[in-house]
Amino acid sequence: MTDKKRRILIVEDEVEMLKALQLRLEANGYEVLTAQDGLSGLNKARSEKPDLILLDVMLPKMDGFKICRMLKFDQDYKNIPVIILTAKVQDSDVEQGLAMGADAYMTKPYKADELVGKIKELLGD
Amino acid sequence: MQYSEIEEKVLIRDVKEKISWSIWVRYVVVALASFLLYLSFFDNSYLQLSLGLIAFVFSYNALAHIFFWLKKRASLVFLLSFRNFLLVLDVLAVTILIYITGVTESPYWFLYLVLIIISGFGIYTPSSVTVFIIAFFSTVFYLGMLWLVYLGIIPVYAPGFHLSQQQLFTLIFNKAVFTTVSFFLFATTIYYFSQLLHQHRDELSHKNSLFLAAVVELKDLNKMKDEFISTASHELRTPLAILRENLSLIEDGVVGEVNTKQSELLVSARANLDRLAEILNNLLDISKLDAHSLQLKKAKTDLSELARSAVEFLQPKASAKNIALDEICPKQVWVWVDPNQIFRVFVNLIDNAIKYIPENSKITVGIESGKNEVSVYVKDNGPGISDQDVLKVFQRFVRLEKDPALTPPKGFGLGLSICQGIVEVHGGKLCVESKLGQGTKFIFTIPKADLND
Repeated sequence: MTDKKRRILIVEDEVEMLKALQLRLEANGYEVLTAQDGLSGLNKARSEKPDLILLDVMLPKMDGFKICRMLKFDQDYKNIPVIILTAKVQDSDVEQGLAMGADAYMTKPYKADELVGKIKELLGD
Repeated sequence: MQYSEIEEKVLIRDVKEKISWSIWVRYVVVALASFLLYLSFFDNSYLQLSLGLIAFVFSYNALAHIFFWLKKRASLVFLLSFRNFLLVLDVLAVTILIYITGVTESPYWFLYLVLIIISGFGIYTPSSVTVFIIAFFSTVFYLGMLWLVYLGIIPVYAPGFHLSQQQLFTLIFNKAVFTTVSFFLFATTIYYFSQLLHQHRDELSHKNSLFLAAVVELKDLNKMKDEFISTASHELRTPLAILRENLSLIEDGVVGEVNTKQSELLVSARANLDRLAEILNNLLDISKLDAHSLQLKKAKTDLSELARSAVEFLQPKASAKNIALDEICPKQVWVWVDPNQIFRVFVNLIDNAIKYIPENSKITVGIESGKNEVSVYVKDNGPGISDQDVLKVFQRFVRLEKDPALTPPKGFGLGLSICQGIVEVHGGKLCVESKLGQGTKFIFTIPKADLND
């Protein structure tokens, strides 16, 4: 297993943001899957079972909180770590995100090393 | 007269209230009269007449009651005429009462005046003309009754009525003049005062509504401002995040080698992006403090520990400017605060001091425990603030006149305003003591809470 690349699913509707994140994660040795709306994000999470999910909140078709809840309340997927990465910074948003079972809540603009550190921590690397 | 829909609704409600009120008063009067009649039952020589009057008042009142109950959705005009009609019936009842109790000698003549007063002030409408209607019917009924008595068409049962036709005629003539003049003078007076009253009330309610509208508008504007700041901050975050990630990707050499010069530029660009993000955070915090929606997560906190970590956190920045940053704090000072927010206050005050004082100066952070509160100070031996500028330090977006020798401070001038807000939501105060040339001392207080709770 050790030689196999860890797979991370990024659900993000801003293409530019998605590209930058993909570049960042690939540079850190992860294999990246992407989805640009909530529904396909959820489907990809279910079909691909990635090692970690990086989730935006304001997404078309289904918002990130809902995706998070649907995965975290599902026996088959609840062990996949979820990081919510969003521009929503209000205390109430953070509380809601964590209440939906997210493992971490990070706000944009984020610091790249903090994000990578968090991912490593959650993957147990 | 034309009314707006809302005015008409208010008027209708008011008239309805007054009518139902008057119906209940009439019931009470009937009950009272019956009781008095019962008390004087045995020596009452005109029992049947009295009973008849009571029955008359009771029946038209009861009919009015039922009618009013059936006509729930009556128009304003109808309600007003209905009320006037009832009042005229009251005038008739009073006339009968006067007839029974002594015609010209009756003591109940004043009841006409009472009815005129009620008709003038009883209702919120400019329909004060009712007073003239009532005055008119009072005159007509009273004089008509006297005339009928004079002509002998209705017999007089009243006690003590022993007047000759000639005496009666003179009396009726005198009464006619007197009654007409006094009723109409009285009605005019009541009309005038009632108009005055309505006018004043209309003016007041108009002013009141203007005032309320202004308050609502201001609240809306303030809410819009808060929403705008919150939305703007949210909308700006995504592009900032993209910018920041792209810059760091280049800086980290992910997309190719970067030389030292380029790297320096990238570091500076990224640092300034962070500054932009910080300004956004501050704006958001200010709007939260304004809207009183900052949620405090209070915990038992050691203030000295917070002070020490803030000093430690800013030590590198102070050293870079060769500023001696020290703390003189007691070992432990326990308070009940939100540690993150108070830590921000410490950092902000110390950071401000570092920004504003020249190199080789000194900053001291201290805590003094008082009886009811703990006061914390951040003191420097810098250039100080002039008296007129001291007043401005807590204002938003205000930057003080700078010593040209110093590097201009960066930021938006929101820091102190935020600190003040945070300290105030904790129930404390933030103030500043400063004189030109004698340094500056920022002091904030935190109330001592019962930590055993």
